[in-house]
Amino acid sequence: MSSQTGQPALPGGEPLDVNDPRLSRFDIVREGARRDDIEIVHYEPQVAAGTKAERRMVRTVAAFFLLTGLASTAFLAVYIWWPWEYEPGRGGDKLYTPLLGVTLGIALLAVGFGILTWGKKLLPKEVSIQDRHEGAVPTEDQRITGETMAYMADELGVKRRPLLGVSLLAGLLPVGAVAAAPLVGGLISDPHKDNQMMTTGFAPRDGQKIRLVREDGRPIRPADISAGGQITVFPGVEHGVSNQYADSPTLLIHLRDADAEASRRNNEREGHGGYMWGNYAAYSKICTHAGCPASLYEQQTNRLLCPCHQSQFLITDNAKPIFGPASRRLPQLPIEVDAEGYFVATSDYTEPVGPDFWERP
Amino acid sequence: MTSDNDRRRGLFARLRGRPGAPSRGRRRLGAAVRLVAALMLAGGAYTVLAPGAAAQENPPLSSAAADGKALFDVSCVTCHGRNAQGVEGRGPSLVGVGAASVEFQVSTGRMPMARQEAQAARKPEVFTRDEIDQLAAYVQELGGGPVVPAGDNLHADGNVAIGGELYRINCSQCHAFSGGGGALSSGKYAPSLAPATDRQIYSAMLSGPQNMPVFGDNQITPEQKADIIAYIQQTLKDDGDPGGFFNLGRYGPSTEGVAIFFVGIVALVFASLWIAGKS
Amino acid sequence: MKRRKFDVAAVPGNTARAVDDRFQVATPLRRLLNKVFPDHWSFLLGEIALFSFIVLLLTGVFLTFFFEPTMTEVIYNGSYAPLRGTPMSAAYASTLDISFDVRGGLIMRQMHHWAALLFMAAIVVHMLRVFFTGAFRKPRETNWIIGSLLFWVGFLAGFTGYSLPDDGLSGTGLRIASAIMLSIPVIGSWVTAAVFNGEFPGTIIISRFFIAHVLLIPGLLVALITVHLGLVFKQKHTQWPGPGRTNGNVVGERMFPRYAIKQGGFFMVVFGVIALMGGLFQINPVWLFGPYEAWVVSAASQPDWYVMFLDGSTRLMPDWEITIPIGEGYVIPPLFWPTVVLPGILVAISLLYPFMEARHLKDYRSHNLLQRPRDVPFRTGLGAMAITFYVILTLSGANDVIADKFHISLNAMTWAGRIGLLLLPPLAYYVTYRICLGLQQHDREVLAHGVETGIIRRLPDGRFVEVHQPLGSGDGHGELEYVGWVVPKKMNRLGALGPAIRGFFYPIERPAEAPVSPGHPPVEPRPEREEITSGETRP
Repeated sequence: MSSQTGQPALPGGEPLDVNDPRLSRFDIVREGARRDDIEIVHYEPQVAAGTKAERRMVRTVAAFFLLTGLASTAFLAVYIWWPWEYEPGRGGDKLYTPLLGVTLGIALLAVGFGILTWGKKLLPKEVSIQDRHEGAVPTEDQRITGETMAYMADELGVKRRPLLGVSLLAGLLPVGAVAAAPLVGGLISDPHKDNQMMTTGFAPRDGQKIRLVREDGRPIRPADISAGGQITVFPGVEHGVSNQYADSPTLLIHLRDADAEASRRNNEREGHGGYMWGNYAAYSKICTHAGCPASLYEQQTNRLLCPCHQSQFLITDNAKPIFGPASRRLPQLPIEVDAEGYFVATSDYTEPVGPDFWERP
Repeated sequence: MTSDNDRRRGLFARLRGRPGAPSRGRRRLGAAVRLVAALMLAGGAYTVLAPGAAAQENPPLSSAAADGKALFDVSCVTCHGRNAQGVEGRGPSLVGVGAASVEFQVSTGRMPMARQEAQAARKPEVFTRDEIDQLAAYVQELGGGPVVPAGDNLHADGNVAIGGELYRINCSQCHAFSGGGGALSSGKYAPSLAPATDRQIYSAMLSGPQNMPVFGDNQITPEQKADIIAYIQQTLKDDGDPGGFFNLGRYGPSTEGVAIFFVGIVALVFASLWIAGKS
Repeated sequence: MKRRKFDVAAVPGNTARAVDDRFQVATPLRRLLNKVFPDHWSFLLGEIALFSFIVLLLTGVFLTFFFEPTMTEVIYNGSYAPLRGTPMSAAYASTLDISFDVRGGLIMRQMHHWAALLFMAAIVVHMLRVFFTGAFRKPRETNWIIGSLLFWVGFLAGFTGYSLPDDGLSGTGLRIASAIMLSIPVIGSWVTAAVFNGEFPGTIIISRFFIAHVLLIPGLLVALITVHLGLVFKQKHTQWPGPGRTNGNVVGERMFPRYAIKQGGFFMVVFGVIALMGGLFQINPVWLFGPYEAWVVSAASQPDWYVMFLDGSTRLMPDWEITIPIGEGYVIPPLFWPTVVLPGILVAISLLYPFMEARHLKDYRSHNLLQRPRDVPFRTGLGAMAITFYVILTLSGANDVIADKFHISLNAMTWAGRIGLLLLPPLAYYVTYRICLGLQQHDREVLAHGVETGIIRRLPDGRFVEVHQPLGSGDGHGELEYVGWVVPKKMNRLGALGPAIRGFFYPIERPAEAPVSPGHPPVEPRPEREEITSGETRP
């Protein structure tokens, strides 16, 4: 490749005859570039052919490529022979993924740096200047294209025949609606069907009050929870302990005497007298802010913290929000103990459970 | 959900000591018995918890408890008062908290407390194992309360799968999925479980230290406690992280976000500086 | 007929001729090969995003072979013992299978996730580069809009992908998303019911997210990225001002071969970094989170970093609920403002900024030369303000982790975030503005007086002065004009600047625009000080 260091451009603006046998390949390339408004103003090989520097660079690049081969082989070996199946404890399998990552990473980085070194250090440096042709926007072309389009509109004659335009619009609008209808119609689903936003699994069925059960389906006796304790309870219905009843999980809390006293007093003030049973109170676990399970119960301060957005609720005062973005208290589930000594929900929640929405009463 | 799980149903059936659903009459009877038992338990707990005259009569102490009392009178009496009756504004009464509470608070170094704080932090422990046992015996004999079973390995028979589910329902909201702990309101926090021993976890569940709710044996059975401890010790701690040398503290997306900028973007910006730099 | 010897050397030429005879591609191909790209490290940031997107496609296709996007309940019976026997959705079970029962599946999952985080991070960094250098100005407003859309579409891609495993953490995120949709006035409950086909979580959302994540959103991304790159190609890249660089030309390297080779190498480097991170840094350990159950949550529940600013804004929002006393009463919950209105405003601002700035400055010319951030203090200040705003929100999204690890009260963190969000951005604007002016002034000073040499000379009258090396003509009087590019400030930077075109200090062609601060009077060199500064030793 011939070295052209900042040589003055060939004279004249007229195109070169590329068939001239005296031209080198670089001359042709440069002529091609010039036809695309590129002036190669500086072109210089970085390493002279056959020099020590070139040999060193070539060796570096080759070493990178060989390293890639080596690392790739190591990757394959690890992939095939390293024990990879999960075993409990700190087994060798815990190294499987790191080893794959390291070998693959080295292989890719080496090929990358090999290519980069090749391009950066072995290929000639150049500075080219290309014209943007921006200042010279062919206004004539703009005009011609504009007129052509206006002409097309004229041909259609919508202006002269307004009925065409109006009827086209009136006819095509419903077509657009037809395209959208199956999608919208298929997706739409009445959020108020079966009053689903206001009810939970604790709504009595056939006059039967619903039991509070644990995650394994066992009902709960008052003695199961120590003072200062809490337990997550679910409606004792089929699939009650599943995401089908995502609004139903409830926190049953056994308050200490003094706290229970305060809680009862505040309940009565809010017209929730009788919602507690003894020292036990049940509040929805679903945060009224964004629906996370607000369940970080602090048994000394009686605060309930939601870990998603840090709303804090005061259990002894009707679970009203005392900090953070929540604006509504957690709904309270009225509870009592049935004849067999198990907790049941006296009725469903009397307020909607979960995050707020527009038409919440 | 777990009702679908046969093996687990077996376990709970075993716990309840009878398979399947009993007849209606038997269920009534059983319920009645349980109700009576519950009432007696509640009554008993009341008599134990109530700071009655019985506690002040100082019944004779066993020798371990006597040693414990000696330790108590040296190290704890300032805040917890004579005979552990508590001092208003300084320390609560220890009558009825049980050996489990002593075990947790003292073996994690939280007690004796250096100063009054929002929350006692874990510190190097002050007392030896024997001394802790003596203190525990003393407090136990003062007014009863929950006791941790003997032995250092309390999760030998634990089932990590059951433990995992119980952990996620009862523990992860404060101690996080990874067991790394988390923040509570106004400067309080749930500590990391990393340094906790079997006995400390067990005693914490039994006694509900500080703001942790109490998980008594009636709520989470000793077998279930063993499952939870097995999950914490084996899965969360010993199992390692199959996904890499660095687990980023298992804090989830927050540290992952830090890593992508401070490792990924930084490395690639340096690479592009080199690529576009002059040779 | 004599058999001709097969001429290997002529094959490429012949083939090329044969192709061109049929398709006439020689001229367009030459145009393509002859494209000049300016070289600067900051122009490679967008490529990081592009290349991580390619890695996302590669690893993502692998994952689809093993992922089962349904919410059918199954009992897990794979090799991860701590979850065996647990009922879960098929989506979560197959994610566990990818992690533990597919050979090499875990690293693919982790590379996919890291590539996603890198994609979004690179978009943001690239966007900042474009913003601070004014590369979004006419004629490139369209590409700026496409770039902003790419962030928001990438955001959707990330969120849908994050939700697919149906684990305890992502399910919580999904529940918050449903609450966000619920909070929209009037139509909220209808939107939620339409998306989830009834009440949250329903049984279909994972399947819907799957098709969005693997087809609809990637299709949109590919389309947007194609137009984005096509426009860069058509409009040619912007460049920094400098010798020989004008608004009407591009100075750099032709695309082939050197520039293209560097790009190929850089792709491998990006891929390699993602592979290393995928192997060394554990990400999203879903096996610890358990299946999604509506009653399970973890302390420190966060979304991925690019969603965290919304989580932060939600945490900082006060509990302002608006009730509208019509009929039975209607509610606008506090969740609505930080999660629907705020992103809406951010999208609008980001899309419209180029037009707002042009209108404000009454500058409707085309700009192909970049501006140094210091030369446009008001824009740099606005950018600093936006970054501060974003960073405070993002940090607030992790404020419980920060509170826990640095022993700060959680409530104090929330209040610090609320106050900081109001106070710090304007402060950042002011400070940045002043710093920019200071830097400008220093540039002018060096141009006027020269570079500090570190040589102290004693004058005959006993004063000490530092000798300055003038940058202009040797007589010490030539004051140079600022051309919008780096001013050498140290002796050893002299001569080591810019590409090897002679006459750096005397541009071959002066830039068409004088890069002064728009909307701000041109900065004058600081008036001469009498102390130990000026290198001018006028007799």
